[in-house]
Amino acid sequence: MLKFLKQVGDYTKEAVQAGKYIGQGLAVTFDHMRRRPVTVQYPYEKLIPSERFRGRIHFEFDKCIACEVCVRVCPINLPVVDWEFNKESKKKQLNHYSIDFGVCIFCGNCVEFCPTNCLSMTEEYELSTYDRHELNFDSVALGRLPYKVTDDAMVTPLRELVYLPKGVLDPHDLPPGSKRAGARPEEIVESEK
Amino acid sequence: MNPGIDLQGSFIESLKSFGLPPGVAKVLWMPFPMLIMLVGATLGVFTLVWLERKISAAAQQRIGPEFIGPLGILAPLADGLKLVFKEDVVPAKADGLLFTLGPAIVVIPAFLSYLIVPFGQNMIITDVGMGIFLWIALSSVVPIGLLMSGYASNNKYSLLGGLRAAAQSISYELPLALSVLAIVLMSNSLSTVDIVNQQTGYGILGWNIWRQPVGFLIFWIAALAECERIPFDLPEAEEELVAGYQTEYSGMKFALFYIGSYVNLTLSALLFAVLYLGGWEFFVPIGTIAGFLNISDTTPWLQVVAAVLGIGMTLLKAYFLIFIAILMRWTVPRVRIDQLLDLGWKFLLPVSLVNLLITAGLKLAFPVAFGG
Amino acid sequence: MNLAEGVQIVSFGILSVMMLGAAIGVVLLDSIVYSAFLLGGVFISIAGLYLLLNADFIAAAQVLIYVGAVNVLILFAIMLVNKRQEFQPVPRAWIRKAATAAVCGGIFALLSTMVLSTPWAISSATPAGDASVVVIGLHFFSDFLLPFELASILLLMALIGAVVLARREFLPDDDFEKAQAEALKLPERPRELVPSGRNETVK
Repeated sequence: MLKFLKQVGDYTKEAVQAGKYIGQGLAVTFDHMRRRPVTVQYPYEKLIPSERFRGRIHFEFDKCIACEVCVRVCPINLPVVDWEFNKESKKKQLNHYSIDFGVCIFCGNCVEFCPTNCLSMTEEYELSTYDRHELNFDSVALGRLPYKVTDDAMVTPLRELVYLPKGVLDPHDLPPGSKRAGARPEEIVESEK
Repeated sequence: MNPGIDLQGSFIESLKSFGLPPGVAKVLWMPFPMLIMLVGATLGVFTLVWLERKISAAAQQRIGPEFIGPLGILAPLADGLKLVFKEDVVPAKADGLLFTLGPAIVVIPAFLSYLIVPFGQNMIITDVGMGIFLWIALSSVVPIGLLMSGYASNNKYSLLGGLRAAAQSISYELPLALSVLAIVLMSNSLSTVDIVNQQTGYGILGWNIWRQPVGFLIFWIAALAECERIPFDLPEAEEELVAGYQTEYSGMKFALFYIGSYVNLTLSALLFAVLYLGGWEFFVPIGTIAGFLNISDTTPWLQVVAAVLGIGMTLLKAYFLIFIAILMRWTVPRVRIDQLLDLGWKFLLPVSLVNLLITAGLKLAFPVAFGG
Repeated sequence: MNLAEGVQIVSFGILSVMMLGAAIGVVLLDSIVYSAFLLGGVFISIAGLYLLLNADFIAAAQVLIYVGAVNVLILFAIMLVNKRQEFQPVPRAWIRKAATAAVCGGIFALLSTMVLSTPWAISSATPAGDASVVVIGLHFFSDFLLPFELASILLLMALIGAVVLARREFLPDDDFEKAQAEALKLPERPRELVPSGRNETVK
């Protein structure tokens, strides 16, 4: 009889405990309800991409020496470098250059290895099209500069989490001139002097 | 007992004064409450869908529907319109007749059960004697529709979903019925109006939740399981069964399932408010306030205020419970099928039996507090 | 005849036709699933007839027990055992058929005598209506106490039996292996592919 009572008691205890844990979980969920949404309402608000953002690649036609390093370091040999040998100047002359961003993985190797820095990363990430062939950018398209989020009058630019002041989690309604947490690069350089 | 306003009586009286026979007057009255209830139930579903989306969004620190109407309030309407205009696909090897009949059998009992939901002394479509029992009986028809649609889809996920739904609803009907039985024992009547009247008089202190704390919990768990809400949404567990018995459905037939599940949730919350939270009662009895302010119970404007307050209170309590259900959805993970049946048969059923027994004992021992 | 009586007669007609039609369907249809669903229709029509007789509690109990429990269990069983297999010719099948015929004939005879011996005059007593629950309860605890208690003990036995079966925690080994070997075979019957595209129907 005692054993049975103990079993019943243990069972009740476990049931109460389970109820307690569910209550705790409910409290957590309830607490989340009063927090402000973290949503970035995309076409109207956009995050400012960070300095090292690897977006669409920019290409400067005049700087390129057609060395094809970018092709060699690319994981899939993606850039198409169309050149011919100019016998008079004894130099390679670039005719066309193109990168297909439908295939590119934005690893940035080409930018890293380009000897003349004619390739660079931009902050453009809105690469959606109706036809995947439109993503095959030729040298002219590669040479265009993206429109900055901060210059767009239709868009509210929002800072990313690491660019917010210490303790602030919400990028909306920051006071003007608020600095991000930690020292900025130029301050580090200053302190090292 | 203050009878409150009697719309039916006054409507029939006014028609009779135009020289109509009483039978015809009654027939003319009959469609009104039904139509109001049908429209009200549908509006309730819209509100519920909107609330579900907004509260879910808030629980996940999102915004939720925002641009369709103010605060996205028209989002459910847009959903509905989309479903109405969608192509109605019947799979090539499905059983067309049963496939069409299934959703209807699921939805009709849910709407029919609104017959017995009272919003005031006379604000109920019919105060049938078997009241709450009608709801239990009608909700037991639903699994047939689920099995039918699961079988007719000719899809193993659908069939499994239908079987699970049926197993779930027959096993949780027992604790549900037993906890309702404990309430019925205290109020000596199956009628929902009598159940509320038994709780009146002491304001919030008289509600059944204080006398039936265990039954209250069992009822809510069982009701969540009957509505296939999240901790118990096995029939449509999307990771295992795609969408359960709804897998093959689209367009208006899918919408019927969708409406059915939400109507069921609203209905359970409303009945929960009626059974345990005093129905249309305000926190303080209206009669006491009226006595305090020296107003007669039969003052017309007081009756109107009381009626509006009654509807408001019923809805407020019901939507509070719905809020908890939605919060629960983002708190608790889904149980496994064996855990579900374990909980139903090995925990809820014995506990609800013991609860019934204790209630009967307490009723004999303290007839004053537990309804002699 | 006033409006209410007219409605009653019309619904009586509809319900009787529904019930008889569904019952005939249960017996005659080839598909066992259709028969099971039609059985639900029969039960619901009977519940409707009870409602017309002012026995609303019985009607609700009929829906709850027969439609909600019995019929669902029948469907459940049919759907869990959805293996289509050929009938094995049973030796001496005529014995079974004769026994079935004898039982059916006996029941028919019993019911016929019952129909003939019942006085069908309409009772003039007022129907209990909403108070029928109380009347039924009083009968249960006075003159029908013994059958009521017997029925409840039967149900209790079934309940305990179910719990005992469900609580059996281990299966004997050979059974287990057999079950496993059985489980490794695919129980579904092979199906032909569905021709759904337009091209395939042209072929």
